[in-house]
Amino acid sequence: MATQETRNTEAGNQGGATQVVLFQLAGKSFAVELGQVEQIIDYRAPAKTPRRPVCVEGVAEYRGRYLAIVDLRKRFGVTEEKPAHPAVLVLRGVGPDPVVGLVVDQVLRVLPLPPDGVLRPPPRVFGIRAEYIRGVANAAGRPLVWLDLAKVLTSQDAITLLA
Amino acid sequence: MEGRTLAKRPWRGRAERAVAQEQVLLFRVGDCLCGVGLRGLWEVLSPDGVTELLTPSYQICTALAYRGRKLPLVRMSELFGVSAERVPPTARVLLIQGQERPLGLLVDEVLGVADVNPQRVAPMPAQASLLSPTLFRGLFSRESQVFILVSEDGLGGMEEVARFAES
Repeated sequence: MATQETRNTEAGNQGGATQVVLFQLAGKSFAVELGQVEQIIDYRAPAKTPRRPVCVEGVAEYRGRYLAIVDLRKRFGVTEEKPAHPAVLVLRGVGPDPVVGLVVDQVLRVLPLPPDGVLRPPPRVFGIRAEYIRGVANAAGRPLVWLDLAKVLTSQDAITLLA
Repeated sequence: MEGRTLAKRPWRGRAERAVAQEQVLLFRVGDCLCGVGLRGLWEVLSPDGVTELLTPSYQICTALAYRGRKLPLVRMSELFGVSAERVPPTARVLLIQGQERPLGLLVDEVLGVADVNPQRVAPMPAQASLLSPTLFRGLFSRESQVFILVSEDGLGGMEEVARFAES
């Protein structure tokens, strides 16, 4: 496990560039730091839990542990249904639990974000307040929002992704 | 490969048997699959003619008339926020002991009994429910399904149940 963490940390910062996992949600591009992603798994309907927060779908077993499965669409107030085959990013160190599963529409690829390629976000990007964003970059001519998922997943405030 | 797999089976069987299994009664509340330890279970009752649901349906704790006594009855569907308009015909009352006092749990359906390895009961993720973690002993899997193991003492220690006992 320690080896894996070391490898991820090294992969997360090569030559000053931060490696991020690029994913899509409701037609927009987002990124999360590679070092926070333990694995990417296929989505399976999770077991329901009582009185769960609106954005939590339930729990799923993962390597003998149980993950809360958080739907990022619901966290961002997107009412449109998710695609038929979404992906789950298994993230660590982004909330009160050691690991959490984050449902996103599609995982695209890993790409390096050089420090000079990341801009400070304006007050809002796609309706998301700057406090939930680590930076904004350009990915093949399209805006890419690098999310601060620790804040997104621990804050109780509503976050609304605009169409 | 085939031979190696077969050779491993008896050893795995012995290892499993060495761990004391806990018998758990499986039940359903709305779309939640749950379990409660058989050791703390006294009786499974049909709600017909046993319960007196005089309190408003949204109240979590009500009275259970049981052999001349009034016991607290937790409407699990109300507690879990999955209550239907009517009590389903499959509903049962699980009479358990929590915090050293008898307590009824009104559940939607009893599913059966299972052996659970206590070492494989893992904690419920904090983000998975807004309810107090004291109500759950943890989660376990059986036949690819995840079950929530409820805590008898946690349920018996709920404020609503304590208030009922005081009254």
